[in-house]
Amino acid sequence: MTEFQKFLIFVSQFDLTYNKINQIIENLNGDVSIKRFCKTKFDEGIISSDIFEFMKSKSSDINIKNYLLNLENQEIKLVTQDDDLYPKKLKNLPNNPFFLFCKGNLDLFNSQSLSVVGTRKPSNYGRIVTKKLVEAVSKKNITIISGLAYGIDSIAHKTCLENGGKTIAVLGSGLNEIYPNEHMSLAKEIENKGLIISEYIPNKLATRYTFPQRNRIIAGLGDGVLITEANFKSGTIHTKDFALEYGKNIYSVPGNIYNETSFLTNDIIKSGQASCITCAEDILRDYNIEEEKVKNQIFFQLSLDEQKIVNLLEDGMKDLDFLTKNCDLNINIFNSCLTTLEIRGIICKLPGGYIVLNN
Amino acid sequence: MLSKVLSLGLKGIDGYKVDVETDVSNGLPHFEVVGLADTAIKEAKERVRSAIKNSALEYPTKRITINLAPADVKKEGALYDLAMAVSILSCNKESKIKNEKNFIFLGELSFDGSVRKVKGVLPLLISARQLGYRNFIIPYDNQSEARFISDINVYPVKNLIETIKFLSGEILINPITHCIFTEVVKENKIDGLDFANVKGQSVAKRALEIAAAGGHNLIMIGPPGSGKSMLAKCFPTILPDLTFEEALEVTKIHSIAGELDLKDGIIYKRPFRSPHHTASTISLTGGGLYSKPGEISLADNGVLFLDEFPEYDRHTIETLRQPLEDGQITIARANSTITYPANFTLIASMNPCPCGNYGSKDRECRCTAGQISKYLSKLSGPIMDRIDIHIEVDNVTYEQLKSDDKEESSKSIKERVNKARNIQNIRFSKDINFCNAKMNVEQIKKYCQLDQQGDDLLKNAFEKLKLSARAHDRILRVARTIADLDGSENISPVHLAEAISYRNLDRKYWN
Repeated sequence: MTEFQKFLIFVSQFDLTYNKINQIIENLNGDVSIKRFCKTKFDEGIISSDIFEFMKSKSSDINIKNYLLNLENQEIKLVTQDDDLYPKKLKNLPNNPFFLFCKGNLDLFNSQSLSVVGTRKPSNYGRIVTKKLVEAVSKKNITIISGLAYGIDSIAHKTCLENGGKTIAVLGSGLNEIYPNEHMSLAKEIENKGLIISEYIPNKLATRYTFPQRNRIIAGLGDGVLITEANFKSGTIHTKDFALEYGKNIYSVPGNIYNETSFLTNDIIKSGQASCITCAEDILRDYNIEEEKVKNQIFFQLSLDEQKIVNLLEDGMKDLDFLTKNCDLNINIFNSCLTTLEIRGIICKLPGGYIVLNN
Repeated sequence: MLSKVLSLGLKGIDGYKVDVETDVSNGLPHFEVVGLADTAIKEAKERVRSAIKNSALEYPTKRITINLAPADVKKEGALYDLAMAVSILSCNKESKIKNEKNFIFLGELSFDGSVRKVKGVLPLLISARQLGYRNFIIPYDNQSEARFISDINVYPVKNLIETIKFLSGEILINPITHCIFTEVVKENKIDGLDFANVKGQSVAKRALEIAAAGGHNLIMIGPPGSGKSMLAKCFPTILPDLTFEEALEVTKIHSIAGELDLKDGIIYKRPFRSPHHTASTISLTGGGLYSKPGEISLADNGVLFLDEFPEYDRHTIETLRQPLEDGQITIARANSTITYPANFTLIASMNPCPCGNYGSKDRECRCTAGQISKYLSKLSGPIMDRIDIHIEVDNVTYEQLKSDDKEESSKSIKERVNKARNIQNIRFSKDINFCNAKMNVEQIKKYCQLDQQGDDLLKNAFEKLKLSARAHDRILRVARTIADLDGSENISPVHLAEAISYRNLDRKYWN
């Protein structure tokens, strides 16, 4: 283990920001080691003396050994910049994290991947599009990377898991402080079937500034970045900026020009920052994956009643009232048809009583 | 001189006998009431004295002591005035009053001697009849309450003088003529509201029909102005008619709460209660100094409509748990512990998010994802567990509003509901007031058996639609009701599939 690695492990015990660690390293004048750190006199502005004393008290070999043992007990793996396990995609990026706390399958770092990001409050359109694209992409063995937030993030993770794909969640908090709380079980599932990572100490709570910070990891880890729906105010704008800086492919799904949640996606298409995506093939082409020409459309055996509903849905999303009025079915039969169609995955129910065909 | 007449006291919705004993002895003029009387009774002495004096009767200028037995039960209200007055007057040796011991007296006195109406006459009379009493003298204004009870003689009186004359045989008063309940109901048509006036919303209407048929609780989710309240208000019109026993129970509770409309004397319509969301916990459950029945008891055998469900105090909503399960509520207070019936159907409505527009066709929602999830999480698992049917309601478009399509009337829906209820009455013939929604685990096993096809469907539904485990029994109960509406003995996959479609809130698609 190099001195630098040791030093990073040592520093990772403390809740220091990326910039702070950077400043410390600069002050060490090239010789980055724990020993040198303990001898160096730091400016009060960088580390106040009591914090410095505290850090020094934790610098012994035994202390660090215990610390690593403790992480191991929590099944957390610590990956530092000099590690072989450190994701190659991040290695040469500016401002790449010094270390990552990980839970799950580390092999995923080196797989082909696509970051999927967007608004926390998608419209029904955004839901459908995200589901559809993620489903197609994850089936081609491409790892889906996202941020475990509400909205597009969680839809991406969930859809990927549903289709047996691999997914990485990059947190804006420590690994033990899942935010939002509601996604605890989702995080657990990702941990078992994929990977969750964070550059913050495991007990750090999410704050305002941690989310834009983690967006650089999302942008960096993905071979491309897909934005399905986002507004100008959205944090997605940071992910996009980082992706531009890192020279990643950005994919954007166009939307209704009057719809707030499509402002950003439309804008980056217009300005040429992103390529316009209308189907999964547009993305897969860049990954050199040919979508089979013959669409593996499954022909479902539909009953006569079910066919009536499917026919009405053929030209897009419809609401319940429209369907009941036009399908010419008794309401009890209608409701029961909806359920059977949904169970077989032919239609999808959306909030507000909307129904849409899945394919 | 000693005399004793009978009256009644109220504990919960049941009455008990109270002896009003009067002792008039020589000494300085004095009037004392003993027997755990409350302030209203203590003040009776002024009313009784003035009433007797102003009725041109003789008030004894002696030492009067009145005991209300049993002496260890707290008594409330002004209904003993008449009994006290009669008791005092009958102490007079020259009094012509006879057979006063054959009657039970209820009534408050006014200074001029007239008899005022009192609360709770109906439950008191019903209890007294069960205790074996047959003759009653009650305020004239309360007579409509008494006319539905058979086999008793009720004499309505207007004032004290009339009472005395009647007791001494100088005049005759005709007892109230007995009325048949069903005839009164026929006379009174249900007013105004009808599902025929609600355009569109066919899914919601169907769900309400099922709720009515099986006694299921229901929650409606939709943006403001989507007609949730309108639908809820129409709901009682498709509920089966009250039976006489149910009507008596409802009337009893309303009589105790003093909310009875004295024109009809009995409540023949299912009550519809919609307390505002600022309602306190006690106003819903009942309680207070006199352990009055709350909104949930007033909604007994009817509908409790809670509009803007998540806006209610969390604590208030949680108190509904036990009554929703047991159909009654026990209110324990320092002075008394009383059990009131609370067998209501809960119809709740809520917006999908704080601003109300989430998922709406034409309006933008401005809430953050966190706000929405916080709003929805206000409804705790145990409460949602007790609500069988969840439906989404959206705005009706102008075309639908103006369309000439004929909507089904409440009357024809009600016929189907009654049919389904009859099937349930036969199924649960051993229990009274039993409906599908109240089935326990064993009964579900017995009456909700699925065939292989249905079993597969349910299994698939759980996997594909990610239903929570608690939905399982709820779905079976609702499916049973749907099968009953269909007149089918077995639950077919079609019934089951429809039942599954009413479990929207269990689904994970909300975020």
